[in-house]
Order: sequence, then C-alpha cells, then structure tokens
Amino acid sequence: MSNYVIKYSRGERVKYISHLDFVRMFHRAVRRAGIDFVFSSGFNPHPIMTVALPLSVGVTADGELMRVGFDSEFSQEQIVTLLNDSLPDGYKIVKLIKCDGKTPDFNSIEKAEYIIDAECTGADKLSCEDFLKNTQIVVPKRTKSGEKDTDIREMIYSVEKIAPQNGDMALKVCIAAGNSQNLKPETLVAAINKYCPDTQIGFFSVHRNALLDKDGKELI
Amino acid sequence: MSFTLKDKILAKVQKPTRYTGGELNSVIKDPDSVEIRYGFVFPDTYEIAMSHLGIKILYHTLNERADTWCERVFAPWSDMQEQMEEYGLKLFALESGDAVTHFDILGITLQYELCYSNIVNMLNLAGIPPLAKDRGPEYPIICGGGPCAYNAEPIADIFDFFMLGEGEESIHETTDVYLEWKRSGKKDKREFLERVAKIDGVYVPSFYDVIYNEDNTVKSITPNNENAKSVIKKRIMSDFDKTPAPDKIIVPFGEVVHDRVMLEIFRGCIRGCRFCQAGYVYRPVRERSAKTLTELADKLLSSSGYDEISLSSLSTSDYRELRGLTDCLLKMTEEKKIGLSLPSLRIDNFSLELMNKVQKVRKTGITFAPEAGTQRLRDVINKNITEENIMKSAGMLFRGGWTNVKLYFMIGLPTETEEDVEGIAALAERVLGEYFAIDKEERAKNINITVSTSSFVPKPFTAFQWEKQNTRTQLIEKQKILQNSIRSRRIRYSWHDNKTSYLEGVFARGDRRLCDVIIEAVRLGCKFDGWGEHFDFEKWMQAFKNCGIDPDWYLRERDIDEVLPWEHISVGVTKNFFKKEREKAYRAETTPNCREKCAGCGVASFGAGVCYE
Repeated sequence: MSNYVIKYSRGERVKYISHLDFVRMFHRAVRRAGIDFVFSSGFNPHPIMTVALPLSVGVTADGELMRVGFDSEFSQEQIVTLLNDSLPDGYKIVKLIKCDGKTPDFNSIEKAEYIIDAECTGADKLSCEDFLKNTQIVVPKRTKSGEKDTDIREMIYSVEKIAPQNGDMALKVCIAAGNSQNLKPETLVAAINKYCPDTQIGFFSVHRNALLDKDGKELI
Repeated sequence: MSFTLKDKILAKVQKPTRYTGGELNSVIKDPDSVEIRYGFVFPDTYEIAMSHLGIKILYHTLNERADTWCERVFAPWSDMQEQMEEYGLKLFALESGDAVTHFDILGITLQYELCYSNIVNMLNLAGIPPLAKDRGPEYPIICGGGPCAYNAEPIADIFDFFMLGEGEESIHETTDVYLEWKRSGKKDKREFLERVAKIDGVYVPSFYDVIYNEDNTVKSITPNNENAKSVIKKRIMSDFDKTPAPDKIIVPFGEVVHDRVMLEIFRGCIRGCRFCQAGYVYRPVRERSAKTLTELADKLLSSSGYDEISLSSLSTSDYRELRGLTDCLLKMTEEKKIGLSLPSLRIDNFSLELMNKVQKVRKTGITFAPEAGTQRLRDVINKNITEENIMKSAGMLFRGGWTNVKLYFMIGLPTETEEDVEGIAALAERVLGEYFAIDKEERAKNINITVSTSSFVPKPFTAFQWEKQNTRTQLIEKQKILQNSIRSRRIRYSWHDNKTSYLEGVFARGDRRLCDVIIEAVRLGCKFDGWGEHFDFEKWMQAFKNCGIDPDWYLRERDIDEVLPWEHISVGVTKNFFKKEREKAYRAETTPNCREKCAGCGVASFGAGVCYE
C-alpha cells in the first residue's frame, strides 16, 4: 500500500462536473482500472483520496493535483496507463509520483495561474500595468462571514494579455490560491471591470494552468 | 473562433452535466460514416431517463449497427428550456450536441401517461411539427414504444408508428425498412409506413379509421390500408436467456435515481394481480439463467466501475434460481466491496437470511405492499397474500432488527367499501401490535410505521379495464376516513396527490380525441406533469374546456360490450380472460399463479416461457 500524488488535466467536455461528482467518477475509474484503493478504517470505510483546491464548475485545467492511496503491485507507469484507459475522455493523468508522508504538502500551494478568455468591449484600452499600479483594489468578496468589501491587491501577482482563443481578449493571471488566501478569477474580472471602466468584460471562460507554491513552482 | 451558444447557456443552468454527454461508455461516431441518425427520446429529465433499463438495452443494440448512430435526447429542465428559447438553441442530442430537427428517426419511450405534455413540448423545442400529418420526409420519422404504447390513442396523431412489446428485434426491423426507404430517395412517407406496417408488432395509427357513436364511445376501428393488420399483437423475446443484454452501460457523472448496475433476471410476472397492467402485458414469464446473469454482472461491474448492483424484475422472489444466483453474486460483491440490492422480495426465512448477508450494518426501511386493507378486497384484486403472511413477515422483520416499515395500499379499488378503508388502519395497528408483542430485549427501539396510499387508476389490458375510477371527491373522502381511523402516534399516513391520478386515468383509457387537449395544454404551458413543482391541474382543466372535452367521461364504467379504444391491440391475454377475471373479482375468488396452475390467459400462443416449463 502506497501513497501517490497525481497530476491531471481536465478538458472542455468534462468541465461542468462538480467536485463531488468528480470524486465519485474517479472512484469508479479506479475500479475499472482494476486498481485497489486503500480504504479508510472506521464504521463507513471510504477510499483514501484528497483533491487539492477542487476546481469550480466550468473551469478547465492542465495541472490539478490529488493524493490517493492504492494497494497495488503495478508500477507507476502501469498505473498511469490503466487510469488513462479508464477515465472518460477529457480527463488525463499527466504525472504520478509515489510519495511518503505528507510531502509534497498541498498546504504549500499559495498561487494559481489562470487563463481568462473573455468577450469584452474596449479590449485595447486595458493596460495591465496601470491596473496593477493601484495600491488598493477593493471589491465585494465572499468571506466566511458573508460578502464584504475586501482589498484584493496583494492577492494579485501578475496580469498580462495573451492572444485570445474564443473571446476578444485573453489574460494570463497569477493570483492567490490556497487555504490561507484565495482569489477567484471571477472576483478579479469584477475588479478589472471596476478599476478599468473603459474595458467591460462580459462572458468569459477560465482555464487553470497550474497550482504553484510561494516561489511560483509546481509541486510535482 | 468564438464561444458556443451551449457554453454560454450551460454557465447559467443547474446541473449542466445533464446536457453535456461525454459520459463513460457513451457512443461517439463520425456522423459522416453513418446513414441513420437515431434519437432515442426519454421525455423526462436526465436523472429519470438514465435510470431506465430499456434505454440502455436499445441504445446499445442500435449502436452495434455500423449504419446507425443512436444518441440520447432528454427533456431539458425548465431553467434550460428558458435559456434555449432565449438563445434560440434547438433540442439537441447529448452525444453530438446536434439539433434533432432533421434526424432520421426519433424513438420515444412511453413509460407513463404524465409524460405526454413533455413529448409535445420537446417536439416544439426541436422545431418539429407535433402532428404526424404535418411532417413531410424532411422531418424525422417519429415512433414510440413502451407500456403506454398499448393504448397510445391519445397520442396516436403525433406518431408515425408504434412498436408493441419488447423492442430488441422490432427496432432493428423497422430501422432496416427505414434504411431501404432512405436509400431509395425518401420520396413518399406513405410508402415507408406501408412497409413498416407489415412488421409484426408495428402499429401505424394513420392506417386505422376510428368511428365514434353519438355518445362519443368508439363505434369501430378499421384498417384503411391493405398493409395494416386488423389486430396488432405485441412482440416478445421468446428465448430471454439468449436475448442480448448490453455488457457496457453509460455511467452518468451526476447522481441519477438508479445509479447502479441493473441485472434483469426475468421478464413478466406469474402473479396476476388484477389491477396490474405490467403483470399482464409482460407475460409470459421468461427467465435468464443464473449462469448467464453471473457472467453479465461481472462484465457490467468491470466495465462501469459501479459499486452497487441491483436485481431487476417484477417480483424477485419468484426467480427460480434465486439462491444460486445470490450465492454467486454475494461472493463477487464481497470480493470487490460492492453493494447488492434486492428489491421486491417476499419476506420469508430465506429472504431474511439474504438481507442479513447483504446489509451487514444498516437496516434500511422495508416496504410491504398488501395493496388492500381487508382479506376480501385482497382476494378481489388477486393479491395472493393473507393477513397471516403479513403478520408473520412483520414479526420476522421486527425480530431481525428492522423498525422502519412502510405499508403500501391503494384506495379506490373496485368494490371497495368504508370497511375496507378502515381495514387499512386496522391492519397497520395489528402490525404495530406484532411489534409490541415481541419482548423488549428481542426488538430494536423506535418503531416507525408509515401507511402510504395511492389512488387506483384502471388500466387497459387488466381485469379492471372496464371499471369506474373513483372521483376526486370520493378519494379525498376515503383519505379522511383512513386518517381518522389511525389512532396510534407511531403510525404515519401519507397519500398520493389525486389530481395526477385523475389525469393519468383520463389518458390511460383515453381515445384519439384527447390529442388536441394535450397540444392545447402545452400551448398553455403544461410540462413535467409528473413533477409537483410543474404540474398545473388548473391549466389542464382549461385545456379540456377549450377543446370541449369532458375529462370525467373517461373515468366512467365502460360497458362490457363497448368497443374499447385499444380494441385493435393484443397483448396476448384474451379479452375473454379479462372478463372472467373481472367476474371472479366480483365473487372475491382468487386465481392461482402461473406456476401453480395455468389459468389459460392466452399468452401460451407465444410458445415461450412459463407456459411451457
């Protein structure tokens, strides 16, 4: 019995799957793959599986992370192949490492890189530099004690324009993610709409490139 | 590039995975490589549709054809419908996301009468004219099947044809005929219908003229085309053990009602309860062998990854190899940490032992279905269960640690009196007494008995097809009587809404004049009538009024010599048998089950199953 950390991607077709549905789907995929999960002990045993910062509904991703316990004789390469053959199209295991104890620690995730592809007016009028020059960026943000006006400036590390795929403008952003501080891409979009009134973002899609530690490095 | 309409819409609706497809084992084909685009329509939500076994069977078998791509088409929930209407997105198939407007065939499964409004609503959403006569060859051929097809007269004008009975073979035969017609240029729809009408079990409603008497009863139903049979007889799969079953099933992302592997152990029922349409129309009983089922279970579990498997049939205890099958399945499920559920079991020593093996920790609720409160009325409906049986089973359950018992009854059954209704309460009290008669040390705490009633709806092809349905006032009166007769606080009473039963009754024994009402009701906004939050009785009543049709009339007692709207359909059980069963019911005389003694119902004409055991 070993612990593994798995890095996986999620594509367009499966992006609307909720976290709970994803967990159930993954359990079934593991069964189909013929791999035995390690079950928790206790009255109602369940497979051991932890997902780092579950994705929101509608978001695609390249580098999601989960930790699982498998009771398996298969090699790491075999596990990756078996799982990829059993997952529905749209999910793909890109990396798997065996790990001991708590490292890598999902609590060390502090940032995430996203691509926001947006339909908007005044795309050319948006200056990312000017936006980041604001020393305070105050928007309503949901906290534990309800929605409150919050300064999110220090949760934004970078915002840059890249070529859009579907919309009029695309932004590659690095923002706070994790258990201590977390900023949702939609909150950042609201901030841009507020602080850069010449640019108004309407419908947008979100893609999470990677989950990063405080140095901006991926965990695996 | 730009965002798709569907992307924008799905961001705004609940449970978007209802609409995305892409589940494991769903079938994707290249549309250019097939000749037939087939939409398999279940006119209800994704969660209901994906719980249905029939769709899994037919989807699988159609997709085995290289010439056909069968996709699923379900009713969008109202939030989705609003968005679709706002953005102009047409009803689409789940696999490809393509609009179904110009598919080749739409096969609609007819599971219950209350889905009729959804059928019209879905056709409207697809931009397809709902009436068959308004659809030229540019629109899909619309066919139907399932239990409501046995009397599909209220929706006859919508459909090009129906397939009666089990569809595993006829769905291929009709598709073959379609393919030939398509290859020959799809000129005249009539030409296709004439060819398809020759297939056994196929009913082309437009080839029959229905003439009415002055009092609106049916005078005659006569074929108006030489290819139409005078009586259309349902189809069955004679050798059920050899009938192909899918070994791969689609695994939904979101939770659905029956989210597990379903193992169909047999078709039909030996019991012959006189109110039960399923018990008559699925005759004769045909079983799958325990060996076939064990192999199938293994394949289905490995291909789906499900952690639960359930046996499916009308009465699990009547399966002859139950012990052998459950032994094999328990071995498999224990090894793989899989749950086994066993619905419709009769309570006896064997089943109790089985349930104890299956649910090692939790004792979930148990439902009993005595159906009627007194022995006399149970004999009338031929529910071959005595009070002694019920008490004995209840005692066994209580000793086994179960304390959550639901007793299910029908009110409004033929010949029912006040005494029978009060008998329901009395029976529940005696079941409670059985609990208290057990030593405190031997029973679990907190007994909880729920009495639940639904309203009896007379159905075609049953011994009660001629009966008058109770009025809503009568039913409410009976519910009150029952509520007042229940004394103990340990017994809870819940009842089924009688407005939906009323509508169900109208359509179950309805005729072709009702089609206008359905179309009018949808125009007024009716849909999802099986869903409390959508069902709008007043709108339906308005629709009847606007069409000048009195719905009460359909609930009347039918004269024994009356031409019934389904007179031209045969399920194999003879009308004469139903008549005799009705007379026996009036004498409170029971009929033994098929394995005890053949009652001569007529289905031996199929040359299969229990009739030849």
